[in-house]
Formats: sequence, structure tokens, C-alpha cells
Amino acid sequence: MSGTGRAVRAEWTKLRTLPSTGWLLLALAGLTVAVGAAVTGSVDTSHCTSPAGCQEDTVRLALSGVRLGQVAAVVLGVLAVGGEYAAGTIAATLAAVPRRGTVLAAKAAVVAGAVAAAGTAGVLASLAAGRGLLTGNGFTAANGYPPLSPLDGPTARAAVGTVLYLVLVALLALGVGTALRDQAAAITAVLALLWIVPVVVQFVGDEAWRDRLVKFAPMPAGLAVQATRNLDRLPIGPWPGLGVLAVYAAAALLAGAVLFAVRDA
Amino acid sequence: MDATIEVRGLRKRFGPTVAVDDLSFTAGPGRVTGFVGPNGAGKSTTMRMIMGLDRPDAGTALVGGRPYRSLRTPLCKLGAMLDASAVHPARRARDHLLWLAHANGLPARRVDEVIELAGLGGAARRRAGGFSLGMRQRLGIAAALLGDPPALMFDEPVNGLDPEGIAWMRGLLRSLAAEGRAVLVSSHLMGELEGGADHLVVIGRGRLIADTAVQDLLEAASAGRVELRTARRQEAMTALAHAGATVTATGRDAVTVTGLTTERIITLLTGAGVAFTGIAEHRASLEEAYMELTKDAVEFQAVTGREAP
Repeated sequence: MSGTGRAVRAEWTKLRTLPSTGWLLLALAGLTVAVGAAVTGSVDTSHCTSPAGCQEDTVRLALSGVRLGQVAAVVLGVLAVGGEYAAGTIAATLAAVPRRGTVLAAKAAVVAGAVAAAGTAGVLASLAAGRGLLTGNGFTAANGYPPLSPLDGPTARAAVGTVLYLVLVALLALGVGTALRDQAAAITAVLALLWIVPVVVQFVGDEAWRDRLVKFAPMPAGLAVQATRNLDRLPIGPWPGLGVLAVYAAAALLAGAVLFAVRDA
Repeated sequence: MDATIEVRGLRKRFGPTVAVDDLSFTAGPGRVTGFVGPNGAGKSTTMRMIMGLDRPDAGTALVGGRPYRSLRTPLCKLGAMLDASAVHPARRARDHLLWLAHANGLPARRVDEVIELAGLGGAARRRAGGFSLGMRQRLGIAAALLGDPPALMFDEPVNGLDPEGIAWMRGLLRSLAAEGRAVLVSSHLMGELEGGADHLVVIGRGRLIADTAVQDLLEAASAGRVELRTARRQEAMTALAHAGATVTATGRDAVTVTGLTTERIITLLTGAGVAFTGIAEHRASLEEAYMELTKDAVEFQAVTGREAP
């Protein structure tokens, strides 16, 4: 096995032997499904003039639980490296794998894999739950809302994109955690980065400015990948939106990698 | 060649503080090298630089002739225990060793071997957070032995251990050296190394003070000092001082003499008709020799005499 392969195996062993990992992955999938179902269940067609006139993006609605589920991805990403600084095991990690770049790459790989698995479970279960709830609330095929199916083109893109969104958020957290080393500070920083624009934008009156902010903020831009209706009216397209988040994640990982390499452990 | 830890011109500064200053020494195969100095002398920093955790400002540190960071399976070249408390409290002891083994391509079988070697046995499946200091030390030892390395390094391994643990640790260090390995072990208490180390590297304020075999150090510290017991102290001191010796009273009936051989002292005293009850060449303890070496280099000297009248 190559050095990188061994490092990935070690990081995987490290990740799976902490009880918190299982709980966080469960929380990621569970919160995504539960919050998605709660939001979906609370919306029906009665507030619209006609059911078809609602123009509700049912896929986005069913997947809205990731807004909360992502918190678990953030914590997992930060803990993967911040937990090592808190416990002091970073010295043992670097004793076993002295190359900093290899350590960070291996951590990124296992965090991404674990979040992708839990995220896939959460997303598929959310779509299944949404399918049942939506038909019950009047979003039927007859009204122009075909039942949710992960095999449908835009729905599949939204589902895959949402899983990637969770992975990128976790990698962003891993990068920030590596740069800051302190768990509490890193979790706070990432959550603030994700939520600041969605909160601030509510107080911005000018629509052009709102669009500009949304376009370059990691969470609103990244979640554009969930949209399946009225794509032309989005401030940023689904894939470019996810690309914005990817740039944030890459920048955070790069900053983390540089600091990790030049700093004393 | 593999079983050496070598440091050449190592230097490290933290802000305005020079932690390690042009330090060179070698820990060779088949012996326990004690790495001694007061707290804050730079021992841990030196060990961290040997392991590539801290980057030196100048100089090199080599393990088996190579920089640590260039090693492909470092756990098989150097086993180290720097901080025994550095284990994740929520992880089981065996799992801690397992991820280390995986990182260097070592089989799980080896994990179970070192668990037995370190005497962890029954505790291996327990979470490390509930371990006593002694158990953590044993886990740290197990991790250091994992790759069966030719060189080993321990930072203050007996700190906080009970006498039984200290004896165990001392025996372990000796047996590792007897197998031909290089063993570098730091301590701020020289007494802890008495009977444990073959060679000593003494540092103070980051600088090398002595690099010597324990035997030579003890001989140098003992050299030429003769202890004399006599009820007629004053007469003895006068007679010996006349013969050119340096004489110090060390007790009501005890005198330390330097500058004369035991034989000559006996002749002089007999000639002068001064009776004595005991005469012996002084044998310095390691602690004594060390105090003599470091008395100028102690960074945090206790402030004494402040309360004295």
C-alpha cells in the first residue's frame, strides 16, 4: 500500500473508532430527513389561488432539511482535525505520517466519504418522505407536480448536488479547523460564514444587492443546486452555485494546508 | 547506523527566547542516553525537532542517518513517547494503537503483541479517558514499541509514576538498550537516571553542558576528594593544610580533603599524632555530580534567603 493509502486507512480507523462519528453521521441524515419532512408537511396548496399556481419547488422543499443537517457535517469536519489538537494526538499523527499534505488529504478523503454516505441516505430518505407528504397536501401529478423520483433528471441533479453540498461544507469545515486549530472557534467561524448572508439579506431592501450577496455566499449559492423550477429566475445557476461553495472549500483547505505545513505542530 | 539519534548544531528560538542553542550530541546503539537538564532547558523542544514536529531554525536532527520527515515508515525507525496524556479520551486503547499500526502498514497482530509487552492486557478494550497516569504511560510505551524500532525516545517517562512503575520503566529501558537499540530518555531529575543511564547529555538554557559517560562523570566528580572522620578536627585540618591540601569541615567530626592522596593523608596524620576513626575516598552520587555541572545554568533558581533574618 502506498504512503497515501496507509494514511487514508489510518484516518479511517481513527474516524470510525470515535463514538462521536456515528452520532454525528446519524444526526446529519436524521436532521435532514426530519426537518425536510416537517417543512414539507407544513406546506399545502390551500394558500394559492390554484394548486398549479403555487409554483412550489417540491424537490427543494423536500430537501430543505440540509440547512440543519449541514451543522453535523460542519462539526464532523472540524472535529476531524480540531479533536486532534484538543487531545494532543496531532503529535502522534505526525509521528506516524510526517508529511503534512498527506495527513490533510487523508483526512479530507475519509471525511468526504463518511459525509457522502450519510448525506446520500439522508437525501434519499428525504425524497421518499417528501413524496408521501406532498401528494397528501395536494401536490399531485394532476396539479402539475409529478411524484418525486431520484431518477427524474432535475431531481437527480438536486439530490446529487445536495450530497455534494454537504461534502463541500464538511471540507470547508476541515480547512477552517486546520487553520484555526481550536474546535469552538472553527465551528463558530464556519457556521457564521454559512449563515451570515442568509440572515443579513433579509434586511437588504435593494434586490440587485440581494442577488449579488446570494450569488457569492457559500450557503445560498451552494443550495441553488437544489432548485428544479424557474431556474432562469435564480441569482445563480445550480452548478455554478455549487461551484461557488467549492471555491470556498478549496480556499479553506488550501489555507489550512499552508498553515499546517509551515507551522510547528 | 540505524540505531542512532544524532543532533548537529540544532537551534530553535521562540520569540525572544532561545530554547535550543547550537546543540550537538549523538545517542548511540546499545546504551541508554540520559538527556538531562532543569525544567525549561530545551529537552522537549529538542525531542520535538528530532521528530520533525518543530522545525529547527538551524542545524539538523537525524534518525538512523536520515531526517525524520523523510522516513516512509517512521514508527519502524524511531519509537517515541513525548506526552503520554496525548490520547483521545473517547477512543479505546487498542484502537489508538490500531490506527498507528495502519499508518505504517503494520499488522493488527503487532498491536496485540505490544499490548502484552507493555502489560496493558485487560485494559486494551477500555477507553483511554479513564486511564490512570501509569496506564497512559504503558499505552505510550506500547505505541513507541509498535514498529519494533532500532531507536527510542522517551520524554520524562517516569514523571508521576509510583516506585513500582519507576522500577518497571528502568528495567524496560535497560532491556531495550541491551537489545542493541539506541535509547534517549529525558529527565529533569538526575536521581531518576541513577542506575538507568550509561551515557549523559546534560543541557542548560538550551546549551550543551556535558556529554559524557556516567562512569567518567562520577569519577570526575569524586576525584581527589577524601572524607575523614576525626574527633580532633582542628588539629587534623591544620596539619593537612600545612601539607598543601584544601580542607573543608563538613561536620562536627568530618572533614573533606582535596589535593592529597589517601595514603599521604594517613602518613601525615600518623606523623602528627592525630587519631582518626575513618577515612574513605569520596564517591559522588549522580545527583551531586549533576548539581555541580548545572549550578550556573539553572534557569529558575529558587529564591532562597528572602525570609532569612
